Amino acid sequence: MHNASVEAIAKLVEPGRIHRRVYADPDVFELEMERIFGRAWLFVGHTSQIPHPGDYFTTELGRQPVVMTRHRDGTVHVLLNRCTHRGAKVVNERCGHAARLTCLYHGWSFDTDGALVGVPIPEGCAADFRKEQFGLARVPRVREYRGFVFASLAATGASFEDHIGPIKSNIDDLVDRAPDGALAFDLGMHRYAFNGNWKLQVENVLDSYHVPFSHASTVNKQGVQFARREGDKAGAKVVEADQSKSDQDKTSQSWKGRRSYIVGNGHGWTSNTALDEGKRSSPTFDEYKRVLTAKVGADRAQHILTPRLHNTLIYPNVSIMGLNIHVRVIKPVAVDRTEITVYPVRLLGAPDAMNFANIRLLNVTHAAASFVQTDDIEAFVRIQKGLQSRATDWVDISRGLGDEEPDRELNATRGSAMHEMAVRAQYKAWLGYMREAA
Amino acid sequence: MDGAAATEAVARAPTARTSAIERSVFEAFLFAEARLLDERRFRDWMALFADDGTYWVPAVADQASPFNQVSLFYDDRELMKTRVDRLEHPRIHIQTPPSRTAHLVGNVMLDDADDAAGEYAVSSTVIMVEYREDNQRVFAGRQIHKLRRTADGFRIVQKRVNLVNCDSAFDAMAVPI
Repeated sequence: MHNASVEAIAKLVEPGRIHRRVYADPDVFELEMERIFGRAWLFVGHTSQIPHPGDYFTTELGRQPVVMTRHRDGTVHVLLNRCTHRGAKVVNERCGHAARLTCLYHGWSFDTDGALVGVPIPEGCAADFRKEQFGLARVPRVREYRGFVFASLAATGASFEDHIGPIKSNIDDLVDRAPDGALAFDLGMHRYAFNGNWKLQVENVLDSYHVPFSHASTVNKQGVQFARREGDKAGAKVVEADQSKSDQDKTSQSWKGRRSYIVGNGHGWTSNTALDEGKRSSPTFDEYKRVLTAKVGADRAQHILTPRLHNTLIYPNVSIMGLNIHVRVIKPVAVDRTEITVYPVRLLGAPDAMNFANIRLLNVTHAAASFVQTDDIEAFVRIQKGLQSRATDWVDISRGLGDEEPDRELNATRGSAMHEMAVRAQYKAWLGYMREAA
Repeated sequence: MDGAAATEAVARAPTARTSAIERSVFEAFLFAEARLLDERRFRDWMALFADDGTYWVPAVADQASPFNQVSLFYDDRELMKTRVDRLEHPRIHIQTPPSRTAHLVGNVMLDDADDAAGEYAVSSTVIMVEYREDNQRVFAGRQIHKLRRTADGFRIVQKRVNLVNCDSAFDAMAVPI
């Protein structure tokens, strides 16, 4: 597969179906690490994780360890976290602060922009050794938008502007909810993992079809889910309560009316969850609304607080949820192992109680021990098991094929959220990366 | 370590408070609570909590508050009821088949006692082995029960479990520790 021909890769994706090898073949996974995670614009982290010069945050881009730093001139750097001497991971903590990044093995030390500044016992160095040539490797392209840091491990390729395109406004939708117009990722992180392919999580964030069935255990006898936002008395109506109807018939109309949108490069979103906006009220929410209105004016506040988005996917590794707000990062570990980080976001300028309420509800929706995410994880694990079967080689993603229509107002392509248009759009992007040799 | 240093080290070690109530009474309560969980009697387990009781499993080591950082569990009685309703729901996929667990509670110490107010803090080490679908895993940590004495026996004001791997990336968890 490493020398896979364009034809061999292209055969794995058809208009309405995907070959099982896309999820289950270790060779395909290796190629993804090279051709997708080795070159695409990936979400790295948020600038609020490194507010001060000398602050650092470690993560991985694909499988490669990196450290995101704030240099003394305020610039953000993303460096390969690998000593240029003998290869040790230099920064070992998840986050912290240091004037120099020092390797434990022989004490080589690097500035926070990656420059090699200290080599103990320099008289052993070769005559032509130049420190300038031994700085920590820099991820070649790094761009930031409203605190969201993206990076590409490839020096060339689509520009960030071309990659992000109109999905940029979905970042605005989240950030604008902060009265001060900025977010902080400083409320901890949920981490969960599962024995399944990374794309199962990617596909799931824009899949509304699964909700009434996968999440059946989260609804009460009236078919209503628990509240997921401060100020709501209850959650969305997920299934009709009428027990005389069959499962197929009683799936809530509110889900059938939802739409999904795609805007190229694999990105997309689903429309908002139907909730009774007029009744959203609590002392905490009302105070937040008052603060936001005071900052941005009544009309603007009304616009910001009118939900338009449920989930947004910025392909290939990050999603934003508009309901109980958070940012989720998808990290492939192996063909059948994936790790997820979920960051609650703090709305700067919002009352503390509003941010606290969001954290509490995120605990029960997206923690490893949550009510909602756990049943998704079970689905991912069972898919990975099921795909070991050779009953057929194909996974079907044909729902709504041919029913897509342009949405000129939103400059997007629109379909029913109960269809699989968004998944097909992801595989169009996938194939775009995968068929192009480095 | 010389004699004086050893004496000093012992003096610095955590010491149990004393109470009119024997330690064995607290232990019996903790053992019974663990057994309810192992027998999947989640509704009976919930009934051990006071109306203002909370169940907290932090996601950060030494977490100071459940309000400014995420937690694996932070349930008041209302969320706990939603959780228990779901654990009894026939279509909870992550419990199909259900987990089987074995809790071991030991190293029980009375950290705080106010006999007049009837309020106590009991800490213990908990190990829970969980088995589901050919996979067995271990959770371990120190738990602190804040208890209130009532006419019907102790009620849990807060159960906090400090897992040794609280900030790990966990495979899905469904049952309380």
